Amino acid sequence: MEIPVLETERLILRGHALEDFPSYAQMWADPDVTRFIGGAPLAQEDAWAKFLRVAGHWAVLGYGFWAITEKASGKLIGEAGVLGMKRDMEPSFHDVPELGWGLLPQAQGKGYAGEAMYAILGWAENRFGKVRMVCIIDPDNAPSLRLAAKLGFRECAHTMYKGEPIVLLERLP
Amino acid sequence: MSIPTLSTPRLILRGNTLADFENFLAERSDPAVMKYLGKGDLLSEEEAWTRFIGIVGHWQLMGYGTWAVVEKASGLRVGNVGFSDKRRPKEHPASGSPEMGWALAASVHGKGYATEAVVAALAWGREHFGAGARAVCVISTDNTASLRVAEKAGFRRFATATRYGLGRLVFERAL
Repeated sequence: MEIPVLETERLILRGHALEDFPSYAQMWADPDVTRFIGGAPLAQEDAWAKFLRVAGHWAVLGYGFWAITEKASGKLIGEAGVLGMKRDMEPSFHDVPELGWGLLPQAQGKGYAGEAMYAILGWAENRFGKVRMVCIIDPDNAPSLRLAAKLGFRECAHTMYKGEPIVLLERLP
Repeated sequence: MSIPTLSTPRLILRGNTLADFENFLAERSDPAVMKYLGKGDLLSEEEAWTRFIGIVGHWQLMGYGTWAVVEKASGLRVGNVGFSDKRRPKEHPASGSPEMGWALAASVHGKGYATEAVVAALAWGREHFGAGARAVCVISTDNTASLRVAEKAGFRRFATATRYGLGRLVFERAL
């Protein structure tokens, strides 16, 4: 499927292309990125499996994650979007759109994640209608918890995912 | 991209769609299918889902990949076959070439379907990658059924490897 392009003041959000893989693998091998997402840096092979999933997610479900590029530099600085990952956790939210975001350390603290997420929320409300949405965040990830609150998410459960504590947040229509 | 459909006397090979996930999950949570795949563990729904969308994504990014295998007589999806790039580390003997893989539901084991599907996929691969291109496959040392399929499909064993502490045999052939 054709992945839509979203544009904000400072960012372009577009589908991942094969040429993005070296930067993508570098991002997911960075312990500062994985500290709050997944917990451990990814080997090339695991980053590749994740990269394939990003492309397949769009093809199978018609929504997914965008590559975030900085207009000023043209560089890939992270990814964000809407997921349907059938996560093995309680409370379960298999049919609820899940929002997510991750930025390279050097792109953090500039308001980029918020800028991307407002654009994505707009797209998601158009795609799914006024529905409940969720996100999951590491309890120690203060910047992302702050952003989630700004986006209108409220904590609804402190639970476990893959053996680690996680906060489930929801945004009601 | 649109995934090509292949036909053999008894099987159809076609792209996976969302409707196939239930069947894929059943297969990946069956001990008879999973015995020689990965660590041999059964997959949870989430794990099966991540693999399923990865299979579809492989076609999108690489222009080749893994098909769903459908039995013509019953119309049922009975497994997967195809090529993948696993980005294995450079030191792995299978690194750098399209890797053939297959898995069939236990209900159709022993009918020669895997060989039939692999041969059809190899013929497509010869067109796609070019005659003479190298293809590989990696099989658990004690997976005798799949080792036979590899040999019947013209693969030649050339190396060994280990994964999750388990032995693997590595095969290659020219397409």
